[in-house]
Amino acid sequence: MGLLSILRKLRAAPEKDLRLLLLGLDNAGKTTILKILASEDITQITPTAGFNIKSVISDGFKLNVWDIGGQRKIRPYWKNYFENTDVLIYVVDSSDRKRLEETGLELYELLADDKLENVPLLVYANKQDLPEALTASDLAQALGLPTIKDRAWQIQACTASQGSGVREGMEWVCKSIKKK
Amino acid sequence: MIHVNTENTNKAEEILKGFQVNWICLRDADGGKVYWQGSDDLSLPDIEHEARVPKAILKCRAVSREFNFSSKECIEKFRLEQKVLFKGRVLEEWYFDFGFVMPESTNTWQSIMEAAPESQMMPASVLNGNVVIETRFYDDDLLISTSRVRLFYV
Repeated sequence: MGLLSILRKLRAAPEKDLRLLLLGLDNAGKTTILKILASEDITQITPTAGFNIKSVISDGFKLNVWDIGGQRKIRPYWKNYFENTDVLIYVVDSSDRKRLEETGLELYELLADDKLENVPLLVYANKQDLPEALTASDLAQALGLPTIKDRAWQIQACTASQGSGVREGMEWVCKSIKKK
Repeated sequence: MIHVNTENTNKAEEILKGFQVNWICLRDADGGKVYWQGSDDLSLPDIEHEARVPKAILKCRAVSREFNFSSKECIEKFRLEQKVLFKGRVLEEWYFDFGFVMPESTNTWQSIMEAAPESQMMPASVLNGNVVIETRFYDDDLLISTSRVRLFYV
């Protein structure tokens, strides 16, 4: 897949600088998704205590993907990274039923923020390979996604550790950017 | 007023003291193969690092440059300027505004750029030892750190 090929798909987008923001609770799989997007090795991923950014440039177009750590103590800093976001990508560990409510609360706090108003939302229902995992449609219901009326949204099942489903989600991201 | 200035100076000193580049890595952006990773003495200022990279890197369609850095202090207007110099002449420039850096954080920034078409690419023998990647980190206008990596194609 590769970030360059994603950027090529986006060349027709009206803006020259595109910003994708990856958020979600700790251990949801944000950094793994980021590395899968860049076709990198995912065997040595540690909790993110800050941010990871990948910037791609091609023919004057720039794509910046921001992955911000999800540990509870750094979540209050998330709001510093909202500005100019083109698509919000929210990653959920579908097998973490204990923290379903917590991840929902964090998500709706994001959706209520002025700086993320109307920003399209992609939810990755990650870790579909785990036995406890909710399906994407069950997770969408549990999170109340169908009640979201103020923006385009999509849920995508994926198992980032095996690279499956990530590309399909990015295809939706590309489409939603072009529609803006 | 004097009091405010002193506070700013102190803040700058704290940021400088608490900032460190942990490692730098050059990869093939297709497939992520690591061609060079350096982590020695990166915190020491004014040292030029030497990266010995296989000539094959020049055949890569895209190469990525990745920096991992830590900051003890919160930085409000973090940005960097990266230049690729050939015999001191700028071949490429990259400006990036990070904005906010969390206190006690470790972060990575990776830039990926398509290589020039092979026909326009200078041969390894010409480039060897003459290319420097210079990266300057700033808080607004305050220079926090400079990293210089000289490339040798082996």
